[in-house]
Amino acid sequence: MSPHPHSDVLDSTVLGPTAQDPDVLDRGSEGTHRAGADDAAAMLVGAVKRYGSGSSSVVALDDVTIAFPAGRFTAVMGPSGSGKSTMMHCAAGLDRLSSGRAFVGNTDLSTLDDRELTTLRRERIGFVFQAFNLVPTLTAEENICLPSTLSGRRPSAAVLDQVVSMLRLGDRLHHRPTELSGGQQQRVAVARALVARPQVVFADEPTGNLDTRTGQEILGFLRSAVDLHGQSIVMVTHDPNAAAWADHVVFVVDGRVHDVVDRPSADTVLDVMKGLGR
Amino acid sequence: MSGMFRSALRSVMASRSRFVLTGAAIMLSVAFLVATLVLSDSMRGRAADDIAAALAGTDAVVQGVTLGASDGGPGELGGSVRRALGPDVAERVAEVDGVAGAAPQWIGFAKLVVDGSSVGTGTATDVGRNWIADPVLSPFRLAAGRAPVEAGEIVIDRSLASAAGVEPGDQVQVLTATGMHDATVTGVATYAEADTAPLQRTVLLPDAAVPGWLDAEAPTEVVVDIAEGSDRAEVIGLLSELPGVEVTSGPDHVRTMQDAATSPLQFLTVFLLAFAVVAVLIGVTIIFNTFSLTVARRRRESGLLRAIGAERRQVLGGVVVEALLIGAVATVAGLAGGIAGVGVLRWLVGLTGVTLLTGPSIVSSTSIVIAATVGVGATLLSAWIPARRAAATPPIEALRDSAAEPRVVSPVRTAVGLGLAAVAIAGGVTAVARTSTTWLLLAAAVVPALVLCGPAIVTAAARWSAPVARRLAGVRGSIAAGNLATSPRRASSTALALMLGTAMVTMFAIVASSLTNAVGSDVREGLRADLVVTSATADFPTIDPTLAGRIGALPEVTSVASLAIAEGIVDGQPTAVGGIDPSVLPSMFDLDPVAGDLGDLRSGGVAVVGDDPTLLGDTVVVEFERSTLEAPIVAVVARSTGGFDAPAHFVDRRALDASVGGLLDALVFVDLADGDAARAEAAVRELVRATPGSFLSTRAEHVANSGSEVDAFRNFIDGMLYLAGFIALLGVANTTALAISERSGEIGLLRAVGATRRELRRIVRLEAALLSFVAAAIGTAVAIGFGWALIEVTGGTDLPSVVVPWVRLAVTLGVAVAAGVAAAAWPAYRVSRVPVLELVSRGR
Repeated sequence: MSPHPHSDVLDSTVLGPTAQDPDVLDRGSEGTHRAGADDAAAMLVGAVKRYGSGSSSVVALDDVTIAFPAGRFTAVMGPSGSGKSTMMHCAAGLDRLSSGRAFVGNTDLSTLDDRELTTLRRERIGFVFQAFNLVPTLTAEENICLPSTLSGRRPSAAVLDQVVSMLRLGDRLHHRPTELSGGQQQRVAVARALVARPQVVFADEPTGNLDTRTGQEILGFLRSAVDLHGQSIVMVTHDPNAAAWADHVVFVVDGRVHDVVDRPSADTVLDVMKGLGR
Repeated sequence: MSGMFRSALRSVMASRSRFVLTGAAIMLSVAFLVATLVLSDSMRGRAADDIAAALAGTDAVVQGVTLGASDGGPGELGGSVRRALGPDVAERVAEVDGVAGAAPQWIGFAKLVVDGSSVGTGTATDVGRNWIADPVLSPFRLAAGRAPVEAGEIVIDRSLASAAGVEPGDQVQVLTATGMHDATVTGVATYAEADTAPLQRTVLLPDAAVPGWLDAEAPTEVVVDIAEGSDRAEVIGLLSELPGVEVTSGPDHVRTMQDAATSPLQFLTVFLLAFAVVAVLIGVTIIFNTFSLTVARRRRESGLLRAIGAERRQVLGGVVVEALLIGAVATVAGLAGGIAGVGVLRWLVGLTGVTLLTGPSIVSSTSIVIAATVGVGATLLSAWIPARRAAATPPIEALRDSAAEPRVVSPVRTAVGLGLAAVAIAGGVTAVARTSTTWLLLAAAVVPALVLCGPAIVTAAARWSAPVARRLAGVRGSIAAGNLATSPRRASSTALALMLGTAMVTMFAIVASSLTNAVGSDVREGLRADLVVTSATADFPTIDPTLAGRIGALPEVTSVASLAIAEGIVDGQPTAVGGIDPSVLPSMFDLDPVAGDLGDLRSGGVAVVGDDPTLLGDTVVVEFERSTLEAPIVAVVARSTGGFDAPAHFVDRRALDASVGGLLDALVFVDLADGDAARAEAAVRELVRATPGSFLSTRAEHVANSGSEVDAFRNFIDGMLYLAGFIALLGVANTTALAISERSGEIGLLRAVGATRRELRRIVRLEAALLSFVAAAIGTAVAIGFGWALIEVTGGTDLPSVVVPWVRLAVTLGVAVAAGVAAAAWPAYRVSRVPVLELVSRGR
């Protein structure tokens, strides 16, 4: 079973039992994250997330099975309260599923304790958030290196240089977040997410607080990371223009995957959204 | 208003844990304050009531002419040294018209000895007085047995009886100025209703025993009962016409005695109150920080309220009602806790050896009102200030503004603070240079200077410590150091509480060690004798005067020198005068003569302790109870014999005995013959052990023990500091917890990008450690400076040099930091429970 990556996303909403077999997912070479196109960078299988209990409980994820393919840029869209953020949080190990399983690479997150999960986050996942992205007491460079430093390592100088020059942060490395513009802060956050070359980067509305031009710039950087370095990126957004930068767009409605659009444009995304607008 | 109250109540319940901490701070402060007030009332009230009751029947007291104030001694609770009365004064008083009864009261030293060991320790003095048969005039009442009649019969006070386990009929011994006497206990007495007279242990003797035991020629005072129907003022006037007397009316005498009995407690009360003030200050800091954050968090909300038309007062009101609610609940709890906790304080005060702590606690309404006002008032004030600041913000700005406190430190504030610090230092230096207490007051400006400079200090500390922290703990260190600077005002107010606490510990440690040194240095440098016999209590001689002769008679002993100390008045000031044998003592204790010849004491001269040789030849007038000694200064010595009441003058022993009457020895110095030192020491020890009221130490032991009196006091101070320190640590815990709740977004981020819970806890602990260290270090530094100036200026001859106990200070600093880290344990635990998703929810 090695279909085209685009159809893989489509198919994976109804993944067969073989795909859940870890042997199939095992990539063998742990070191490199530039995986082949038939790999999933992250995956949810039968994922259910319930908040509260009894009659007042709310189902945020309703039996979702989906794979985010490696080396691709996936956008997740949906109306407010659709469960798109919950989906990302559970896939990224920030939140735990009520039932079902979440994988990053071939690692089943449900088998990890808090410590292992934390280590996984800092070594194999990169994060870009909408706000509160940087530790205010650290310089830009320290923020960029933070996940590696927490693991007791330093990112390789070559990769650091590469990321920093790509994001044009060379002259800002010793500034603190308060001394940076919103766009610069977000670039630092992107650099932090990319520099450890994680298996997957999760971006939660990374352009939500930025003006259009700065937002486009950030999306451009994310796009080049995918194109040049084969980085896997999953981005939650509500902006069709942002989604248009992705390879595929996953639409989430009422806690279920409603639709997947390949090679989206802003218009096609908007059309789908209009169809959802109830 | 009731709506406001309901919403305030809801808000308190909503953030329960924060307010539990705030409430705890208020509660502890109030409890500390009320316990202090109740305790001091109880100590004072108890003693005062007892004295008033015991002296109720005394209408007037005839005493000798006052020579000067006293430093204290047996029977001198009246607080003055007086000329002795004439031997026939009692008869003369009795003959005065209108006197219904007159009883001579002989007061001297008498120590109860049971089974060879003396009874009673602590600060109370051992007093022997004659039993007054007239029940109107006697302050003591028989509780059991009968009054003493024959010489050799005694009555003892009830607390002595219970301490010694003695009952009427038991055989005991009594040590007095004339030596050891066998006695039979015929009864047990109370002082009015109390077990004991304040600060005294009393042995009551029959009149027959007075000449032989107390070695007094005339009564100390005559207590007078004025006949019914006589004009008291007139009778007192007639009494005053008797030669060589001073007459005090009953009520005046009661007041004098009350003052004297409670004066040792006054300094305790001052200390207790000082600690209570620190506790309240720390409490206020905590409340202020908490409400600042609460209000800052609600700025948007209140901005919205203001935008839609709420008045400033309405926005303010909610917070104030909330503060009132917390303040009131915590104050009530604090009052209850404080009154219940008086026992703890009693135990602490007991560490000083003050034993006037029997009887029930006296809870006056004044204490309650003061503590309650402070509790509720402090809460209200510390909530009102930030609330006002918030309400004064224009609505739109408040809506836009984030909750964070500005990180900018006002340069004006820092400049004013630095100016004050300069004034304080200049004041301190001038005070030392001129030995002027007035200038020292300027040095106190260091406290407001610290308050003003606090934020700048914290910011600077964060900057300077960052590289160190980074080297020690990597990126976690950088984060911890940086966090310090995120809200400099809050961090500095927490630091201030810690600073004050450490500064107090340090000051007391310096004063105590300087005191120990001052008391001990003469002994360390001057002592030559092989062995020293010391008294049972440091402040009063209790050595049987016959002991020195008996030791001297031992074949193993080459020479013996005794020291007697009496109180006299020189230039109106009480002065300890030592009586020595100038031919023997200098070889056993080197007084370090600066000028003159100690041998000339024999011919009636005086030696003074000092360093000015030009005093030689001046005439000194020392007024004693029995006579006035007027003598030329024949020697100036640099050293005295050590201890708190070390003599400032020395005379020949026989001259002193003649002027004062029979004296017990304060110290006996012993030199052993060459040969078997251990056997010789054993022989002396056997003799000393058989003599109650005397203790043997070797030269090394005596040097080590000198100054140990200070230790009891130090225990008490330490105990108090644990309490104050505990409250300061609540402050650290509170600030850390507040900082964490404010930074939950950042913490969520750290967790998301891969900081484990343990790493976060380490960051929090590191931050607390840094803050504690900065605060404790500054507190220590300030206290060293201030303590040094204080001792230099006010120490005089009592505290000739400043001794900084570096090791102890280093330990204090270490303990402060460790305690700060411990205080951060709970907030650190909370940190690990901040959900990672917190940051995402903050973004919404």
